[in-house]
Amino acid sequence: MTDYRLSNHRGKVRIGILSVAHLHAAGYQANLRAVPGVELVGFSHENREEGRAFEQEFGARWFSTHQDLLAEGLDGVIVCAENARHHELVEIAAAAGCQILCEKPIEINLSDAEAMKTACEKNGVSFMTAFPMRFAASTRAVRQMIRNGDLGNVLGINGINHSENPMGHRAWFASKELAGGGAVMDHTVHLADLFRWCFATEIVEVYAEVDNLFARGKIGVDTAGLLLVTLANGVKASIDCSWSRPALYPRWGHLKMEVVGERGTVLMDSLAEYLTLYSKNASRNPSWIGFGTDPNQAMIQEFIDSITQKRQPLVGWNDGYQALRIALAAYESAQKKAPVRLRDFPGV
Amino acid sequence: MRIGIAGAGTMAEVHAAAWRSLGANLVGYVSLRSAGTDDALAKRFELRARASYADLLQEIDIIDICTPTSQHRSMVLEAAAAGKHVICEKPIATTVEDAQVMIDACRNVRLFVGMVVRFFPQYRSARQLVAAGHIGTPGVLRLKRVSYVPQRAPDSWYFDESISGGMIVDLMSHDIDYARWLAGEIERVYAVRTNAKTGAAQYVQAVLRFRNGAMALLEGGWAYPPGIFRTSFDLAGSEGLIEWCSDQPPPITSFRSPATEAAASVGLPTSGLAEDPYTSEIRHAFECIQSGTAFDVTPQDALEALRISLAVKRSTETGQPIEP
Repeated sequence: MTDYRLSNHRGKVRIGILSVAHLHAAGYQANLRAVPGVELVGFSHENREEGRAFEQEFGARWFSTHQDLLAEGLDGVIVCAENARHHELVEIAAAAGCQILCEKPIEINLSDAEAMKTACEKNGVSFMTAFPMRFAASTRAVRQMIRNGDLGNVLGINGINHSENPMGHRAWFASKELAGGGAVMDHTVHLADLFRWCFATEIVEVYAEVDNLFARGKIGVDTAGLLLVTLANGVKASIDCSWSRPALYPRWGHLKMEVVGERGTVLMDSLAEYLTLYSKNASRNPSWIGFGTDPNQAMIQEFIDSITQKRQPLVGWNDGYQALRIALAAYESAQKKAPVRLRDFPGV
Repeated sequence: MRIGIAGAGTMAEVHAAAWRSLGANLVGYVSLRSAGTDDALAKRFELRARASYADLLQEIDIIDICTPTSQHRSMVLEAAAAGKHVICEKPIATTVEDAQVMIDACRNVRLFVGMVVRFFPQYRSARQLVAAGHIGTPGVLRLKRVSYVPQRAPDSWYFDESISGGMIVDLMSHDIDYARWLAGEIERVYAVRTNAKTGAAQYVQAVLRFRNGAMALLEGGWAYPPGIFRTSFDLAGSEGLIEWCSDQPPPITSFRSPATEAAASVGLPTSGLAEDPYTSEIRHAFECIQSGTAFDVTPQDALEALRISLAVKRSTETGQPIEP
């Protein structure tokens, strides 16, 4: 099927973006266009105003229904809908025979996440979770140091993925129904995935304090979250997923890891390559303007490569699923005021 | 007023330097582990060691106790019985009961516990900004204090938890006290700890929940390579944010060749060109004792920091959250 389409369109890999509700859609359309041999067929978005705006800003072809876009005959799609609509879109994309790259978190509950896996298996399509930080030079270097044993026995990791409240850019991030939660749902999964990936093991226990401390009375989801997690190999790690950066911060936030080992410590600040801009025209003052390599580009390249090479992508469904379980376990821990063991938590 | 120092280790030297810079009448010291001739206190400050603690107490008005933590109780009690004012290194004691007995014994003399982080200018300044409402209601506080394993043989008492209380009581208690100063009383703590398989290195991360709803992540350790000591705070509130990290360049950076400096035995954070915070601390205590005014940080604060520290330690042992 895939072969036929590839040849039928002069070797171009045809990709569509299903919904541009997520902010990352803007970056992905540019990433797709930068990959030789890829044709960005267009994007689908049901809200006319938002669809038109995206079409005008980025010059991509807009489809007002997802089925219309899928009817164009695509090799793959990027699902950039609100978290709670991922399942619905993955179902129709899988039925259309498309390979799937899905924004994180992959869904808002485990049953919808499991149904997505079933749909992909039934239709023989692959599912890639969008964890771009696995493709950053910084995270890859840290992972290599850990795997080489450069740090000796690792004692612990201090992880930071705090940010501004994304609701300022897209209101649905602060909707329990559409996002499944706030800061914990939004920002736990990146570091949870990096820990799993660096050590090739699972998180076995989660303790979390979760609350709405930064937008009390304004929104109905959590904005503050601190997690302490234990990995199966005994490593203890923290995740700060809070929306604790003010709106006037010079950038959206941070992704940092400090890995403390018996023979050494490594400090990772993935976004450390930036210029400080002071400008009357900038949306933030000052602004940190990144000059590092965009990890999204390498992630999109891997998605395309997995399609052309007819293989599973390097980041799979289970990676997104396990990270989602950690976020959900964090909510349960905060509610119970007790650590939650993942083996006692739903899912596998 | 005449000052005596009990102890001859790293902190005794730091305090002696502070007293000297204040021009105070530092009359002598007592060492618990040596004849007193080879001590830095004798050589660097030309101080004479007394044969016993009781002898030293007879000659002074204020005793500055810089001995291992488990000895604080008996030394404070003896000083109080002799009617001497007490400046005592932190942590106040290794048990809450000891701390309470010490506070009770000092009803008729002044007792100051050296919670020195409150005298570091960046910590003091941040506290003033928080108190003035610049970050609104405190939300998520991040506090880091990771150093290295104490190096010199005489400082190995730090590893013995029955003497020092351990890393959490000795080191992390600074940030516990600071967090209380910022956000008030603590309702619940949960913490995880990892020890090195070889050697004394250990690393702890703790989550604190305050009665007012705020939360904090504290990171403490004797875990970095010798000579590396990093501290930082990141104070996020409903209306603003304060960031500071010891990684920021100091007012003076020098590059010398070859770099041959060995690490100090016990890591102490530095604070730029301002007055040494240990001197600020001693100055404050000295002035309050002389004038009879209240201390900025009370022995009760020191006791509470110890109580929370022990709860953090217990959480690392039980794997459960603890309400201190």
